[in-house]
Amino acid sequence: MACLADPASADLRFVAVGNPNTGKTTLVNALSGSCLRIGNWPGTTVERVETCFPVGDRHACLVDLPGAYSLAAGTAEERLTRDELLAARPDAVVDVVDASNLERNLYLTLELAELGYPLVVALNLLDEARARGLDLRLEVLEERLGVPVVATVAVREQGMEGLVAAALQARPATLRLDYPESIENAVARLEPLIQHPSRRWMALAALSGEPIALDEPASRLLETLKVELVSLGVDPFLGIVGTRYQAAREIAASVQATRPGVHRLTETLDRWFLHPWLGIPLFLVGMLLVFRFTFQFSDPWVGWLGQVQEVLGGWIAALPLPGLLASFLADGLVGGIGTVLAFTPVLFFLFLALSFLEASGFLARSAFLVDRLMKAMGLPGRAFIPMILGFGCNVPAISATRTMESFSDRLRVAMAVPFAACSARLAVFTLFTSVFFPQHAAVVVFSLYLLGLLVGMLTALALGRLTPPSQAGSAMELPPYRIPTWKVVWRQASARTWSFVEGVGGAILVSVAAVWVLLNLPPGDISQSFYARLSMGLAWLLGPLEIHDWRLAGALLPGFVAKEVVIGTLGVSYLQADPVAPMGLVEGLHEITSGLAGALWATLQAFPALLGLPGIHLPPPEAPEGLPAALSQSMTRSGALAYLVFVLLYTPCVGTLMALRLEFGRRWAALSAVYQLLVAYALAFLAARLPL
Amino acid sequence: MRCLTELAMNEEALVHSVGGPHLRARRIMSLGLSPGARVRMVRRAPLGDPLEFDVSGCLLMLRSEEAAGIVVEG
Repeated sequence: MACLADPASADLRFVAVGNPNTGKTTLVNALSGSCLRIGNWPGTTVERVETCFPVGDRHACLVDLPGAYSLAAGTAEERLTRDELLAARPDAVVDVVDASNLERNLYLTLELAELGYPLVVALNLLDEARARGLDLRLEVLEERLGVPVVATVAVREQGMEGLVAAALQARPATLRLDYPESIENAVARLEPLIQHPSRRWMALAALSGEPIALDEPASRLLETLKVELVSLGVDPFLGIVGTRYQAAREIAASVQATRPGVHRLTETLDRWFLHPWLGIPLFLVGMLLVFRFTFQFSDPWVGWLGQVQEVLGGWIAALPLPGLLASFLADGLVGGIGTVLAFTPVLFFLFLALSFLEASGFLARSAFLVDRLMKAMGLPGRAFIPMILGFGCNVPAISATRTMESFSDRLRVAMAVPFAACSARLAVFTLFTSVFFPQHAAVVVFSLYLLGLLVGMLTALALGRLTPPSQAGSAMELPPYRIPTWKVVWRQASARTWSFVEGVGGAILVSVAAVWVLLNLPPGDISQSFYARLSMGLAWLLGPLEIHDWRLAGALLPGFVAKEVVIGTLGVSYLQADPVAPMGLVEGLHEITSGLAGALWATLQAFPALLGLPGIHLPPPEAPEGLPAALSQSMTRSGALAYLVFVLLYTPCVGTLMALRLEFGRRWAALSAVYQLLVAYALAFLAARLPL
Repeated sequence: MRCLTELAMNEEALVHSVGGPHLRARRIMSLGLSPGARVRMVRRAPLGDPLEFDVSGCLLMLRSEEAAGIVVEG
């Protein structure tokens, strides 16, 4: 099936609306085949999922609106959903309802019915409801609401054809709620002044105190009506919301013969995972597994991509090209693409783990377990996972802040995340500690991790003083445990990884090319290059940190591309680059395929390794031969410590900065870069003065 | 009349009113804890806070200061 290239050219526009945790994403996935697109809603940090598919000879596009409990704009997601619904009349609203949770879900359904758009209800998770002993009479629900109700089990892709067919024929609901008389009278007077297809809903929302944009005469009348209602002793908010809840409860009771109990599996699992003593240790083991999973599975692929890059370099060296051009192609172009690709295995596996945690219900449990700790920093429990993911790679950690509801919480965590020492920085730490602190390497590295964590926490705390705290509180749902479908988790992880490559790849390519220009121009010895001249200036600036050698100061520049590049650049500037050996076509192909087989084998081998006991040893440093000796000549121990502190804290790598920009905009990304540079300089200055 | 935090483990009650700041109250109500709903205390988190409640088969977590604003009867 071909994916529609331009969603704007679709004939039909459907929107999917529903409470969080109703399997809405799975349902959209089931409808979409493989045409899922994940991006951001313009100017926000909320994920936007869209899919287009053919319906007969027409094309329908379905936008997955963010999860909402109501159309009152309590969270960023709910605001978006409401605005999107009010902005344009869709051809059909697909309301995804959790069959085992009718009472609460129907509140939103009633609001959607009031909008007056063509509506169809997808009664999802019907299997789960039946397993909980619920007997639902669909025809009663259909009759009460006056819209088609389609039974679906999205994980098994059941009921999808019926749903599409119903959406094509959808009509506005016939149900009309009766509010208390005084409110009905007020609505009847306000309604004629509103120019909008959903004016009944808008009049009700305005009366209940929602910030609805009305024109001058309408808002003047609104004020009068509110005063009149209050003088009658009527609280319009309680009257309107109360009527809806009552109706939802009453309809739910007429549809289901019994009251739903707690999900059996969830009850059992929670007894272990939220156990008073075992809960936290089990959670820590789980986090360890996530990390092992990510790194043991991605490592072979990062290695293989490096091999492919080397082979391509070898092929280029074998071509009859002028030296400078060959060097640009091999180091600038292939190197740049290689740097972008080297991110993808780690990102993909971290996103895979994150999608799994999200869809299975574990993410919400982790928030429950550590909420108390996070509260001390003024953050919700959900802040924990993004902060921990930062120790793997800062980029997905910043995307993971999306799982939090308030903008200010997201921002505070995202500004703290880049201080978490990611695995790229560990490579620099192990090299320098093995040279300068061979006896205490583990202590120094551990202290650096702690320092990063501390600075990050203080940053989040300080920002909390500056930004207004979230008003909505931290109440949230602990969804039932569900086994996510492999397909959904896989698709979500690949779409998120792809959106990183699209959004950030260009910037990484440009910065790798810029670094190549610095290092190689004017041609000749590296000590005559632009890079060397720039580095000498930098070394003067870093003098107070006991970093005097220009080669050390300079390596921080390409470190902006990705922090482990620091080592490669030090190697080049101290030892001169090894000329790339030319490679034959067959030899290269052989190397790529044998590498591929090796990576596959290593991935399989990672399965048993997941379950071993954790080792507390540092990985051996990886550096070109001779570099350790050269380094030990060029700086003191104090300087080395300052250098490590600086590498830990300074400007996040370009991938992280771009992720910040995608989520929060240019200004916050720039601020983060400058702020981290200042913090790094200050703390490295202090570190250089520690008595060692 | 008691507040929600005073429920014993596994005790059930009927929500009477939801207090606290407007936005927060609205959020709590939209999660299903609206006046008239049945609620059961499920557990306390290992570190003492937050609390977990069962509202018609749906599990919710609330910090104690939020739960303290909810009045229940029965």
